[in-house]
Amino acid sequence: MLSRFSDVLQTAADVLAPPATRLEDFEYHWKMVVNFYQNYEESSKVHFEDTRVPHHLHQMLQLIVDEEKEQQGGTVGPCLEAVIQRSVGVLDALSLLVSVDRPPGARYSALTLATSLLRRTRSPCLNSPHVYRPLQRMLLICNESPASPTEKEEVELLLTLCGLVRKEPGLANIFTTPFVEDTASLMMIPEDIKTLIPIKSKAQTPKKNPLFEVDMAPNPLKTVSIVRVNKDDNYVQSSSSAGDDNVSSKSHKTVYDDNDKFLLIDLLLSYLDSADNQVVLRACEGVLIVSSLAEDDIAALVTGCSPACERLAARLQRRYRALPPDLDPAAVDQLSITWAYVAQDFGDKNYNNFYGYRELTAFFSWLDYIDTLMKECHPIIACHLSRAFRTQFLEPAAEELAEPRSAILATAVLAKCLRVLDSQDLVNEFSSWLAGEGEGGAGEWGPLRALALRCLRGDHDLTLETLRFFEAVIEKGTEHSIDRLVLSRVCARAYRAAGPALQDERERLNDLSLARERERARESLATDERAGGLLAHADDNIHRVVNSFLLLLPRGVQSQPLADCEHYVHDAQRHYQLWLDITSTYNWPTEVTCADTASSTHSYDSRPEADLHLDDAFAPVHAHCEPKPSRGACGGAGGCAFTQALVLRSRDAPTTSEEEFDAGPFLKMLFKLLSTMPDQPYQVNLHLTSIISKLALLPHPNLHEYLLNPDLPTAKTTPTLFKTLQEVARRLTMEVPRIKNYKKVIENTRLQLMSEDPSYDEIGSHNQLVESLIVLEEFCKELAAIAFVKHQHQLQQQPHQHQR
Amino acid sequence: MAYAYLFKYIIIGDTGVGKSCLLLQFTDKRFQPVHDLTIGVEFGARMITIDGKQIKLQIWDTAGQEAFRSITRSYYRGAAGALLVYDITRRDTFNHLTTWLEDARQHSNSNMVIMLIGNKSDLESRREVKKEEGEAFAREHGLVFMETSAKTAANVEEAFINTAKEIYEKIQEGVFDINNEANGIKIGPQHSNAGAGGAGGAGAGGAPPGGCC
Repeated sequence: MLSRFSDVLQTAADVLAPPATRLEDFEYHWKMVVNFYQNYEESSKVHFEDTRVPHHLHQMLQLIVDEEKEQQGGTVGPCLEAVIQRSVGVLDALSLLVSVDRPPGARYSALTLATSLLRRTRSPCLNSPHVYRPLQRMLLICNESPASPTEKEEVELLLTLCGLVRKEPGLANIFTTPFVEDTASLMMIPEDIKTLIPIKSKAQTPKKNPLFEVDMAPNPLKTVSIVRVNKDDNYVQSSSSAGDDNVSSKSHKTVYDDNDKFLLIDLLLSYLDSADNQVVLRACEGVLIVSSLAEDDIAALVTGCSPACERLAARLQRRYRALPPDLDPAAVDQLSITWAYVAQDFGDKNYNNFYGYRELTAFFSWLDYIDTLMKECHPIIACHLSRAFRTQFLEPAAEELAEPRSAILATAVLAKCLRVLDSQDLVNEFSSWLAGEGEGGAGEWGPLRALALRCLRGDHDLTLETLRFFEAVIEKGTEHSIDRLVLSRVCARAYRAAGPALQDERERLNDLSLARERERARESLATDERAGGLLAHADDNIHRVVNSFLLLLPRGVQSQPLADCEHYVHDAQRHYQLWLDITSTYNWPTEVTCADTASSTHSYDSRPEADLHLDDAFAPVHAHCEPKPSRGACGGAGGCAFTQALVLRSRDAPTTSEEEFDAGPFLKMLFKLLSTMPDQPYQVNLHLTSIISKLALLPHPNLHEYLLNPDLPTAKTTPTLFKTLQEVARRLTMEVPRIKNYKKVIENTRLQLMSEDPSYDEIGSHNQLVESLIVLEEFCKELAAIAFVKHQHQLQQQPHQHQR
Repeated sequence: MAYAYLFKYIIIGDTGVGKSCLLLQFTDKRFQPVHDLTIGVEFGARMITIDGKQIKLQIWDTAGQEAFRSITRSYYRGAAGALLVYDITRRDTFNHLTTWLEDARQHSNSNMVIMLIGNKSDLESRREVKKEEGEAFAREHGLVFMETSAKTAANVEEAFINTAKEIYEKIQEGVFDINNEANGIKIGPQHSNAGAGGAGGAGAGGAPPGGCC
């Protein structure tokens, strides 16, 4: 009853004095703002927040937000319309406040208000010149004074604009040249606003700003009309649609010239050098948002009209150079850095946990950012950025690699770079830089050659770090880098001995004594548990291979004669499957070939199981070496695919085998280091053998044959893995028993090594000789396991082939 | 302030489900009905106590809009916990959970603890998603579930703290490698002694808002 009465009263009051419309409210608050400035004493010390101006401005914002909620179908309400038509020049006024910062604090508020306007309204009509020009002006004015106290607010506004562009890509055009006037006129505060807010603004002549080194022809707005120019305006009719005639629905600009600018990206870039990590983070986010737009035009703007990619890559190089030279390389490996979290981590004093941490983190977080950007950005930008990554960062970094003082650290850092990279484009770029792209000559190998050679200089620390680097190269192997490192050397099968050896082999196969030998081997295994069930289902040939490795060291010097290989088999299975997956798309042959290059353009049926198996090699001789057989083709050719003959009848064979086999710098280095195992520290040997077992796992038939076939007929001068191992074993067998009480020493050393006690490395008195013995012993088990696993895999793939 | 552990969290979910409000309620103990749209990612932090140990939570509140997904993805890696939020009054936000979950699982480390949050439980009259449905979804995907109200603060503390408890348990079980920062966990400079007030169990630690980093 009472409420109805009050309703009646209200209605009566409304008739007598109707409540102000929203627009009237809006204009009222605007007038109050203008009034304040008309009476403002510039000498006044009062802070902006202590005046009524913020209140009025917030009310204006709220009115726009409120009216939008009631608007139907994306139409523009009267308050925003007043802004768009500039009957209320509040945005121009805000840009003036940004410029003059009067009363003190006005700049901060003006920036946050502008940001709120864009964030709280669904369609802030950014395509209207009376909206975007004041905003651009604000940002440009701010850009005139870098490292200002309002950096955070500036970059928030900028990021908000990026977000709007992300949602409506056509808006990017308002940040490109035809719509960005020359600095002077863009930054000019309109006269009418100066009259309304009569504060003597600071000189508006722009300083020398790299953003605007190129001045544009005056007033290009008149000549280009992608954005509707808002002069004799029928633009906003009483309820015009905000969505239909804006920039985004019109054509994109597609032709750029050298003077073109992409203001949005350029402004973002200028915040990357801020001392405030939060500001940098925001700028990074902005670049990420704009770069990940699907529009080709925008990607072309980023690469063609801004130095973004070059700047981002150069920054990586700067951070790389900033690493302290006496940084502990071991610290590098432990890092795990996400670019987005670094800004906070840096704020936490507890994060500063070792010498050089900040520099390292700064570098790797930037690498992570570039990596992320590569994965998210438009392909045009990705292509450009990966090239910049190479020219701006990798190529200059090569100098540090070669510099003796910085070599170890540089190697550790670059290895870590390669390990953490996730973007395939960057990994490929890295790999082609490392391995070189040219054909033949010294340049063929890129920095890899130098890296391989320096492992032989006897500097164990450098060797260790370089081996770790190579490990990363193989782990992150690309078809290109693996081809350069090893495959190009073995693809011609030149490691095999020429004619006479083949003849011998043929005889040997038919020799009864061989059969007896195999019988003996089988017997020895039947009673020998060292194989640990490894060979329960295997046939003769794999027996031979496995035994060759397991029996390499005489039992008398083995530290663990009865150990089984189960965990090596387990590991090998896992890793082999990984490699099969990785290389499934590679253009690798499925069988041993004598091709000139493994990377020839012939298409193979490159199924992952591609592999040669040693047992097949001992099947009755069936000369077969088609240059490039595919599994499918050979399957149809009467099962010849799996009779991997030892005899080469290919027309290629005589020529290739006459030439002396060149294992190439990398394999040569590995064999050389292997042969000097007893003289090297444990860690070096560990990484060395780890690299070789990785290579042995690769599902490439020639490499498999070369590394894992102990019976491979080769010329005397041709180095092979097995020959080298035999040599080392011979030396160890001779030298180790000379040690007093050597069995006990072997046992103790083994215990110490297996305990993985970190303090062990610190102790000076190791028996390097015995350590290398144990590494060799374990390495042999590993190789045997790898050979076995690959064989097993083959059996599973083609069971019927083996029933013959 | 010294902490025993630091956990990194992210809050994910559709736009408008109340992610920022949950964070504000947890860090500042207040509710702000009008909130600017989150652009990119916002940050908040608070100290809590679990098992008598000071634990610092660093929380990244991500933008729900598709436009910012490329940024959000950068935060998955290196987070120990995630609050996946939907709005019980908007069915579509519940329907999108699968997409969010896939995205999170794909880009995060496999041990990340994910807590499913049905927010706006104060708006019972406008409820579109039954509590049972949230529970069922959580069960099916191995998540912890809770309905919260950022407005009334109901269950907000619990949501953040239970996630922390679960991470803490995983650390005790040795599931998390705490030396690898990629897991979103960091050990403090020294394990602070259980303070007089820390009577064991979980509870909000004293650190007032703003006492972060």
